[in-house]
Amino acid sequence: MTASRVLATSSLLLALAACGSPGKYIETGGTDSIVSVGEVDIQDLQTAASGMLESLVAQGVLSTAPHQPARLRIERVVNDTSSAFDVGELTYRMREQLVNSGQATVLTAYGADAESPEAQERLKQEAFRQGQTTVDSLQPDFFLTGKITQLKRSAGSTKQVTYTFRLTLTDSRTGQEAWTKVVDVTKQGTKNAVGY
Amino acid sequence: MTRRSIAPRLAVLLAASTAASLLLGGCGTVNTTSTREAPSTDSVPARTRVNDLFTEIFLHVRDVRMFPAKSGVMQAQIDVANDGFETRGFSYLITWLDARGNSIESPMSTWKTARVAAGGSITISSVAPGPEATDFSIQVRRAS
Repeated sequence: MTASRVLATSSLLLALAACGSPGKYIETGGTDSIVSVGEVDIQDLQTAASGMLESLVAQGVLSTAPHQPARLRIERVVNDTSSAFDVGELTYRMREQLVNSGQATVLTAYGADAESPEAQERLKQEAFRQGQTTVDSLQPDFFLTGKITQLKRSAGSTKQVTYTFRLTLTDSRTGQEAWTKVVDVTKQGTKNAVGY
Repeated sequence: MTRRSIAPRLAVLLAASTAASLLLGGCGTVNTTSTREAPSTDSVPARTRVNDLFTEIFLHVRDVRMFPAKSGVMQAQIDVANDGFETRGFSYLITWLDARGNSIESPMSTWKTARVAAGGSITISSVAPGPEATDFSIQVRRAS
């Protein structure tokens, strides 16, 4: 092999190595995102949160609460899918909109698994000093619960999965369901892809 | 084999492939009609501009409506029709604007996808994040 041939082959190899896609920032959940057929992606969570919020805001359920903004307690939202993700990715997106727009306030110092036990303890001490047995500001108007499930099917090498996000608001005064919403996200394909 | 003997075979082959194409084209085609003939009372004049956007991805907009939802916040609906012979997919992002024309940032504003069967139509919709939203803008991208 001549020196020029070796040089040409080396140049070609180097050029090929440089062809890989370099790291870059993309819009979170945007159309350049990766679409995974068998996993819940960030855009799926964004779609679910958006669908839930649109329904909740359109129905105006929160404005029926005795307290304004409505006091909301986020209870268990179960991830019953094979995809590992934190359900907080869904609920925090909803909280952001509801709390920041003044439609609801989330009670973070309520219950046995309070997000802020310090605040809960301080409120309890204050109530005790005032001779009260309960802390009125910690009484929720609504409880938010939910479940995320999946339905997987395949035909040949084509896989299809439907992720069903369901949330329910229960009125604490009546114990009855005040609002419920189901958002389905269905994906189909033989392999994961970049962009949609 | 002479040219004369090839011609009939070629004609049969052409006819067969045309029929197959027509049959395949017919698969999944939706025929649509409606009892309503008058435009919706909630139609807004932006239909032409929104339609221009969708025409670029070979779809067309039949109607754009805006009306208050049960809670009083605005809701937008866009009827998108596919007059082509194949299912078309697209992504869209609706951003709500306040009375001064400023966009309202919200987790409700996300890219969503939709598919319209050949000959069919769908309605995409969006609910405003709050009462301050009075108008909206839409971005559309053909699905990859």
